Amino acid sequence: MALVRKDLRLELRTRETIVAMVLFAIVMLAILQFGFGTRDDDLTRFVGGLMWVTLAFTAVLGVGRSYVAEREQRVLDGLLVAPVPRTVMLTAKAIAIFLYMTVVEIVVIPLVGIFFVKGPYWDAIGWIAIAAVLANICIALSGTLFSGLALFTRARDLILPVLFLPALVPVVIAGAGATHAVAGGPHDMSEWRGYCLFLLAYAILFALVSVATYDAVFDD
Amino acid sequence: MTPSSTTDGPDRIPGQRAAVIWGVIATILVVVSTIGVFLVAPEDADQGIIQRIFYFHVAIAIASLVAFAVACVAGIIYLRTRSVRWDDVGEASIRIGLLFSVLVVITGSIWAKASWGTWWVWSDPRLVTYLIVVLIYAAYFVLRSSAEDDRKMRYSAIYAIAGFASVPLSFYSVRVAESFVHPVVFTSGGANMPGTMLWWFVVSQVAMIALFIALLEVDLLGRRSERALRRLAMRLESA
Repeated sequence: MALVRKDLRLELRTRETIVAMVLFAIVMLAILQFGFGTRDDDLTRFVGGLMWVTLAFTAVLGVGRSYVAEREQRVLDGLLVAPVPRTVMLTAKAIAIFLYMTVVEIVVIPLVGIFFVKGPYWDAIGWIAIAAVLANICIALSGTLFSGLALFTRARDLILPVLFLPALVPVVIAGAGATHAVAGGPHDMSEWRGYCLFLLAYAILFALVSVATYDAVFDD
Repeated sequence: MTPSSTTDGPDRIPGQRAAVIWGVIATILVVVSTIGVFLVAPEDADQGIIQRIFYFHVAIAIASLVAFAVACVAGIIYLRTRSVRWDDVGEASIRIGLLFSVLVVITGSIWAKASWGTWWVWSDPRLVTYLIVVLIYAAYFVLRSSAEDDRKMRYSAIYAIAGFASVPLSFYSVRVAESFVHPVVFTSGGANMPGTMLWWFVVSQVAMIALFIALLEVDLLGRRSERALRRLAMRLESA
């Protein structure tokens, strides 16, 4: 818990990561709108994709920052020497990433509705939020693992997206699918449930892989 | 150099015999299956000649999954034993598996062009899945090339395990609520094709797996001889 508090306190003092992530997400949404090359206001059909592409790229940005303090201030050396089980470190990092993503989504999910949806959206926001929480767990777990791998490589800023984004594709597919199932029209709850179960399965699988391999990530 | 090693030929690299044997087996099987698939197997009444690509397409796909599974297991063993041998097995398997999956995407694309009229169909879950698989395993080499020595092997092993975990996830994610335009040949009820086709499919499947093993053996042999050569060079330098 102290490790989570350390990450969050550091963040609250500087606010640099979270502010950058939120700004990045908003810019992304604007770029996507222009990228469609249309001044058509109603992008309801694409709302799942718009939301989750934005969130995936923002996640890469946030996850990439997540070990920076540790590396630059040599906190990591201290942590690794300290008698802290690696799984505790893993969990602390994952919780921090989870919270970052939650803050970003609190801004992005309503904003997507305002920007792109003409039609019923607000009654679906609870369902989208549930899917987002599940997706955040997935992002946090796989993000912690991959950023740990990328940490000591050359060109680490380049390596992380290359490792992390392909692993995120299933999350994007499921997140976008779940959003699409409930946004802007009649709710297709069985489809939504299918995608949420999938996200749950992803989270469990990556939790197992992370716990099993995390010891080896910091084994120097 | 000691006289004993000159009479026995230069220091024999272990695994040379296995590479030759598997090479021969794979060659025979590939030739037999190619002949069988094109000349013996019955023509599909519906799709005609293009259906014959199925024997390779599906067989390579399954062989590539076998390769990734081998890499995953090699990764687990590497993390336990830290033996370079298993790092070699992991990297070689992924290299061959990646090559196979690229072939799966290409043959799938050709099949899509022939039967649906377009080179790429996003609504076909298996083709899309394989594209993701290719991306996942291509990243393995990016990771490998940017880390050093012990770290490189460790990270590769972890990534091989995590990558293999994402394969079934990719498979499922593109399937949840997907329309199935892909010809579903294998269902849970059994194979949906006549006996002779199934027989030739099994032959080409075995051929592809034999090809994988042969390529793996040759690749490993190459690595071993390279190491032996380096040792020899070092010995000569120090002498």
